[in-house]
Amino acid sequence: MRLVVYLLPRVLAALVTLFGVSVLVFLSLRLLPGGYADILLGPFVTAEARAIIAQRYGLDQPLVLQYLRWVWAMLGGDFGISMVTQRPVIDELLRRAPVTLQLALIALGVALAVGYPLGVLSGTRAAKTRKGRDFGRVIGAMGASVPDFVLGSVLIFVFSVWSLWFRVGGYVPFSTDPVGNLRTMLLPGFTLSVFGVALILRTTRDAVLRVMTEGHITAAVARGDPPRVIIRRHILRNAAIPVVTVVATYFGFLLGGAVIVEVLFSVPGVGLYIFNGLLNRDYAIVQAGVLLAAVVFISINMLADVLYALIDPRVGATR
Amino acid sequence: MSAPLVDIAGLVIGYDAAARQVRALDSASLQVREGETLAIVGESGSGKTTLGMAAGRLLPPEAQLLDGTITVAGVDVMQADDAALRRLRREKLGFVFQNPSTALDPTMRIGRQVALALGGQPGPEAVAALLARAELGDPERVLRAFPHELSGGMAQRVVIAMAIARAPQLLIADEPTASLDASIREKVMATLVRLRAESGASLVILSHDLRLIGRHADRVAVMYGGRIVELGAVAQVLQAPVHPYTRALLAAAAGNEVPGARLEPIQGTPPMLEGRCEACAYAPRCTFSVARCNSERPEAREVAGRLVVCHRAEEAIATGAMQPQEAR
Amino acid sequence: MSGFSKAAGRLLRADALTLFGLITLVTLLFLGIFGPWLPLGDPSRIAAGPRLGAPSAQFLFGTDELGRDFMPRVVQGIRSTFLLSAIAVTITAVIGSLLGMAAGYLGRFADQAIARGADILFAFPALVAGLLVAAVMGPGQGSAITVISIATLPLFIRVVRSVTLGIAGRGFVTAAEVAGASTLRIMLVHLLPNVMGAVMVQLTYALSIGMIIESALSFLGLGVQPPDASLGSLLRQGSSYLTIAPWMVLSSGAVLSLAIMSVNLVGDAVRDALEPLKGRPLT
Repeated sequence: MRLVVYLLPRVLAALVTLFGVSVLVFLSLRLLPGGYADILLGPFVTAEARAIIAQRYGLDQPLVLQYLRWVWAMLGGDFGISMVTQRPVIDELLRRAPVTLQLALIALGVALAVGYPLGVLSGTRAAKTRKGRDFGRVIGAMGASVPDFVLGSVLIFVFSVWSLWFRVGGYVPFSTDPVGNLRTMLLPGFTLSVFGVALILRTTRDAVLRVMTEGHITAAVARGDPPRVIIRRHILRNAAIPVVTVVATYFGFLLGGAVIVEVLFSVPGVGLYIFNGLLNRDYAIVQAGVLLAAVVFISINMLADVLYALIDPRVGATR
Repeated sequence: MSAPLVDIAGLVIGYDAAARQVRALDSASLQVREGETLAIVGESGSGKTTLGMAAGRLLPPEAQLLDGTITVAGVDVMQADDAALRRLRREKLGFVFQNPSTALDPTMRIGRQVALALGGQPGPEAVAALLARAELGDPERVLRAFPHELSGGMAQRVVIAMAIARAPQLLIADEPTASLDASIREKVMATLVRLRAESGASLVILSHDLRLIGRHADRVAVMYGGRIVELGAVAQVLQAPVHPYTRALLAAAAGNEVPGARLEPIQGTPPMLEGRCEACAYAPRCTFSVARCNSERPEAREVAGRLVVCHRAEEAIATGAMQPQEAR
Repeated sequence: MSGFSKAAGRLLRADALTLFGLITLVTLLFLGIFGPWLPLGDPSRIAAGPRLGAPSAQFLFGTDELGRDFMPRVVQGIRSTFLLSAIAVTITAVIGSLLGMAAGYLGRFADQAIARGADILFAFPALVAGLLVAAVMGPGQGSAITVISIATLPLFIRVVRSVTLGIAGRGFVTAAEVAGASTLRIMLVHLLPNVMGAVMVQLTYALSIGMIIESALSFLGLGVQPPDASLGSLLRQGSSYLTIAPWMVLSSGAVLSLAIMSVNLVGDAVRDALEPLKGRPLT
């Protein structure tokens, strides 16, 4: 009941957001000069093909009807046809989704495994030092400041000069060759994770410091609990609450397509696909890709809201 | 008489602020006897919370010990190592905080928090029994509740239960009822006092509620400017106050008014000391002060069966109602 | 006001890391602003040195594939990266603050509409949105500014909205309402000064995000176009010669990272000064 009361307005808000996102994507490509048929087909088309497209998308009808037809088609699984390959865009996107998912999971895993413990350590140490400053600030500032394409370029340089175990490019699926897969995926995953490490470290550090100002921490100290026990019992869980939201945002962005890292390391994921679609002026891909990225992002944030409500018993409670 | 449970001697504590150091305790000395209930009263800023927290070395990191000692149950609190300090807190001390809603972990069920306070592996019966001692109705339901699902009074009873969980020798309660509804203050206070009596522990109440103290404390220490300015039996101090500040506090307290008399708020604000006060800290607000009060630091003296820090204690008694000086 | 002067005092007693950030930021801004008038060499002179020459005393950052001195190119890049991001973020901050105040102060429908609008913009991963914008507007500086605005507008709206919610019911606002002040006047005269601190903190973060987005778009070839140079487009240029002339990527990458880090460090210091956070030690 508590969860329903808390989640229902959020689901409704997410639906509104979804609607807004779809309208924005729809309008951005429909209102282009040259018309939608040109965008979809390119300039060198026969009047015949143009007529088919106009018919298919109802381009002679009012914008509202066009929008409804478009949404209706997507609900039926039709996200458009790639101009270059003449295949359904959704098939291509779904085929590449696992690659992007794997990349996102590697990055998130590293970011959490490094960022959260360091954040807790940094936060608890910062409370001890009188100025409240420590290594966490340095790592946080550095990680948030080196763009992924700079780090990625440097890594590519290093590993192309000293050909160590890792490989750049030449992706193979995990199912056919797990080792070969990791040889190509770990570097881009690590590159993506650095910003996440900084983000999670900083968020955790702030959350820990904030929890440590709360009365129940003083109460635990007053009961004679040792620091380790206080951190484990009280700080970890309370500090996790704001971290959940940030992690969800980060993961949503990763899943939306890590465009740069995929381009840089030639990882055949969603981001690279959308980017190539743009270069080829294959706008059906861009349209579907952007929309799906936003949908994934909104869904992940919904999941985060559920998780949040499970961790924090105060959420949704009315007194 | 045996050694006192708490012996605070000449304690000086300052807080590092932006560019200076504010002195919270200006050589405070106080002893707490075994089994007594001692109240420490004073306005906010008088140093009473600093004194109470110092007993468990729970002061924030800005606090600096400048001088003096504080001994609790034979442990030199300020010099003890972390392990000894934790043992003292765990076995000898119990704290009750002003705001029960922040003193409990919001993400943990009450049952688990109380079990952790008991230590070891207590069964649900032991936890429920402890809650019942703190007069919480329906302990089984409370066990499963989260802190935000309890009323303020219930939450404070949980905090009290956790404070007495390991049978401490000293209970320190900082404004234990100030955040509660007026209707339940007395009941919660009665529970605290009863539990103290059952266990034979000493209880130190930090409060500004003189009526509450009058009913429950054995002795009272009045604090001003980081010092104890009057210390004696409750009946003596509250019925026949000597220090002008004590008198002003009583006059300002609602509920003590003589029918027809007006409540007299104390004029001025408490001092912000930046070093040792070389005069009487209360002199600027005192209607009874003379030149000497502004130039010489008064020391504690025994006057009329209690300790008083006032140059003019005898005159104050003699003049009785202490009229304001006409010409100063 | 005393809150601000206290905060300024804390800022001045900054530690080494903050000082490092401040000095780096000032130096880079100086180079960016006065670069064209400094005797650094001509960024566009072809065959000023050897092609893809390694760094030397004459060419600190080496030369590019056309024999241009790379160091003045980097200085040029600093200028456009800072300038583009700063323009985009400043515009966004103004719009975002107004929208945030309107949402927090007007409440009800305006609040709902603005909050949802922020959610909608926030739902687009920045670079994916960048691809859409590039498709619609074509590559260029306008696209870069638009993408930066889309990515940072929700940050301003959310923060300003929540601060406004906290002060909208306070006495001085109510007093102004009773006195008959117009909504716009209340927002500008009474609310704005109180949200400025939060806006300043967001501004530094948004600037660093803006710089990352600008350089990323330029790196992908969607932002600043040749012959103009931004730090991202220089990285793009250098990445073609990564193995034979790594100094181009390394120098522009290092300068870009330093620039973003200096903004972040100064931002941290501003935030620590305005909203100090201090937990208690556990012993």
